[in-house]
Amino acid sequence: MSLTQIKQSNISSDFSPSYRNLIINGAMQIAQRGTSTTGVTSAGYFACDRFYYYVDSIGTWTVEQSTDAPDGFGNSLKLSCTTADASPAVGDRAILQHRIEGQFLQHLAKGTTSAKKVTLSFWMKSNKTGNMQVNLYDNDNDRFVSGTVTVNASATWEKKTITFVGDTVSGYDNDNAASLLIEWWIDSGTTWTSGTAPTTWQANSAGDRNAGGTLALADSTSNYVNITGVQLEVGESATEFEHRPYGTELSLCQRYYYDPLTYRWLYAITTSDSGNRRGHSDYPVTMRATPTVTPTWGQYTSGTLGLQFSSTQGVTFYSDSVPAGSYTTVIFTAEAEL
Amino acid sequence: MTYKLTGNDPLLGTPLNAVIRLADNAWIPFDEANRDYQEYLEWLAEGNTPEPADE
Repeated sequence: MSLTQIKQSNISSDFSPSYRNLIINGAMQIAQRGTSTTGVTSAGYFACDRFYYYVDSIGTWTVEQSTDAPDGFGNSLKLSCTTADASPAVGDRAILQHRIEGQFLQHLAKGTTSAKKVTLSFWMKSNKTGNMQVNLYDNDNDRFVSGTVTVNASATWEKKTITFVGDTVSGYDNDNAASLLIEWWIDSGTTWTSGTAPTTWQANSAGDRNAGGTLALADSTSNYVNITGVQLEVGESATEFEHRPYGTELSLCQRYYYDPLTYRWLYAITTSDSGNRRGHSDYPVTMRATPTVTPTWGQYTSGTLGLQFSSTQGVTFYSDSVPAGSYTTVIFTAEAEL
Repeated sequence: MTYKLTGNDPLLGTPLNAVIRLADNAWIPFDEANRDYQEYLEWLAEGNTPEPADE
């Protein structure tokens, strides 16, 4: 059989990762920030790595890495409404986002006559039936295209697939900034629903961003939605989800966020001046940008603690006021999210 | 949100090239690709002023 006769669907993704999936942590396996955050009322990264929950004045939420998942998956990201807002103000919105660097998207040939179609597939489960609008938003050129999926049955895992056309008008920047935002609209006020959901790329229009959405998941504390198995790939069909090794997926996430989960020692740098301490930590992978580092003391809990050097490769901590004989350790997180 | 400048390394005297976000003691580098630094620049543009570095 010649290679051209082998169908994509016959190629197993279980043992030979092709990196065709542009999504990081699509199976929601990695949760470096912890498995659950309650009381979410504003935007941030919670629970599952790489998924950003943009909440702007609409409800209160618990965001968690759930073990409820369809066959073939171990986890999902669950958004649960804990304080309802059934009458949101016009500009309110809640959107689950996945943000991708432009340098990872150049092969889509966006902005050329060869612009490629992409297909998004994912599993979802919600207590409410209705429509959810899903957008590809071009953050470099303020353009977007949309698709709509329907929750047909309550509390049932369903697989959804959307194929988006290519955009011949404008391309993604070739850099490490956020170029593509995938948006799952959870709920919103009328500013975002007054238009028509576009199925071809267009300039941004606020009223079109959630015009196809009817789920309104902020309207009751009974509401939830689980999502997992997220895959974005070039082409017009959704292939089997690409299950990458856990360590590989963790490394991909650590480009954006790193929690070493252990102490780093600060050592005296001269024998005659034990107060001046230094400690260094390399990052396991090169981070996207020089990260924001949040250091806190470990064993020793007073005195100056800061960053002497910081780069995409690692960080050096300092302290200049540690009493002789004190053990000094630091714990930290490093964030370079989009 | 308030910030504090970091000044120089106490031992070497070299600039630390960061600003501290006081809400969580996060050290934000002067890297324009860092989204926290972008937020700090917006805060400055609104006319706000960070606290001075420790002596």
